Amino acid sequence: MDGKPRSEREVRARKLAVFLVCLFLFLTAGCATVAPQERAILADPTMQFDAETKHDAALRHAIENREGSMGGTGASGGGCGCN
Amino acid sequence: MRVQLTRTVALLALSAVARPAYAQVAEVDTAHSVFYEAPTRTHMFVYSPSLDVQVSPWSWLDVRAGWEADVVSGASVKVKAGPSYGATHSPDVVTTASVHDFRNVGRGELTVKGDATSLTAGYAYGTEHDYRSQSVHASARTDAFQHNTQFELSYAHNFDSVCDRVQSASAVDPTQWLALETSADCFTSATGRTTHPIAVDTYEASWSQSWTPVVATQLTYTAQLVDGFQSDPYRSVVLGEGLLAQEHEPNERAREAVTARVAWYLRPVRGALRVAVRGYHDTWAIDSGSAEVEAEKSIGEALRVLLRARLYRQTGAVFWSDDYTGGSPPLGPRGQYWSGDRELSPFSSWLVGLRVVWALAPPNRRLLGVVQSLKLAASANVSSSTYDQYTLGGIPVSNARAYVGTISLSAAF
Repeated sequence: MDGKPRSEREVRARKLAVFLVCLFLFLTAGCATVAPQERAILADPTMQFDAETKHDAALRHAIENREGSMGGTGASGGGCGCN
Repeated sequence: MRVQLTRTVALLALSAVARPAYAQVAEVDTAHSVFYEAPTRTHMFVYSPSLDVQVSPWSWLDVRAGWEADVVSGASVKVKAGPSYGATHSPDVVTTASVHDFRNVGRGELTVKGDATSLTAGYAYGTEHDYRSQSVHASARTDAFQHNTQFELSYAHNFDSVCDRVQSASAVDPTQWLALETSADCFTSATGRTTHPIAVDTYEASWSQSWTPVVATQLTYTAQLVDGFQSDPYRSVVLGEGLLAQEHEPNERAREAVTARVAWYLRPVRGALRVAVRGYHDTWAIDSGSAEVEAEKSIGEALRVLLRARLYRQTGAVFWSDDYTGGSPPLGPRGQYWSGDRELSPFSSWLVGLRVVWALAPPNRRLLGVVQSLKLAASANVSSSTYDQYTLGGIPVSNARAYVGTISLSAAF
């Protein structure tokens, strides 16, 4: 966040670290077993990451247009509305 | 044999048409949002209505159609100047930059569902006075490990075009290009207007995982390649004494972001805590990070209340300067590009919000004889940005607060 461009080596090291963390989590994912009868809470609306996507769409659109970044909220497109 | 086959086909057809008494076959959603922002000397008001209809003629197929619009009025920065230029001049940065636009987007989408997989494809068409957008997208989702793991891959491609003025034949250098005055005659055959293409490819992969009966996570990677005219065609930047040029940003931009989210249910309070962190980097040298916390609690059977807080911080684009005419660092020229876009400057922001959802789904009966479930939601959010360097002719931007309010209604039939 200091505004200095990162070296290629540093970028590569960070990407490798992220990849290794993801690989570790992925390999342990199969060990996590939540039985169907235990899934009631996971199905609760408060546990959904995008339970109100349509309601929050305008807020996400406003945030993306006021920031220089994007990502993490779906890949569908359709218009700019940014001028 | 033939009779048996006919019976089987008839039964299959019947099972497709005749459904259980309370199966949901259609859903209608409408949302209405207002956005208001009034930083120094500018006011921006946006009203955004939307309507979506989903029909599920069979259990394996969802068909969606939708429309959304932005009705925009206000003012934006027309001429960007910085403190060293503003000290000796009084640039008119705002008053002639009134904005009135009407963005319309129509979209359609199909989802084919299996027991553990689904495939979605869709198309969207958007118009503004000065912008056209066509977008196709596709996504595939699959469940694994007894539905404890979900993977999703998405891809979207935009074929967009933006209106601009035809530059004089003698203006061979971008420092001589002039900004577009108005959107009049855009997307017509008028001689003074042209269009620039913009291609946007967005790739996304996400992995959702249930770890315990009360903890779930999601990891998402997003990459985007943008190729085309990305400047604001209306904005000029002061480059020197008597030198005013249309904003000029690079045509290519590669962007990537990683988002990690966790949801944790707290049984004693009948609610969940959701935390999201995102890291972002692009080839314009913008690095950003955000952290978001949402706490949502059920009150009774029908009501849910959510509190939200978000912090955001970004660095500026490598070609960003608040004053390209000079001054002490970090002011000064930045090579072959110049921009007056405050979203490309270094800044931080915070956001807080409240959302209330009231959902009614009475078992074994329909409201008014047709409505299976009803959901009404309302939210209010306020955000504030603090700009490290961005000024309007040397005047710091104050009161950079934005307010977003939304109400929505969903009904399933």
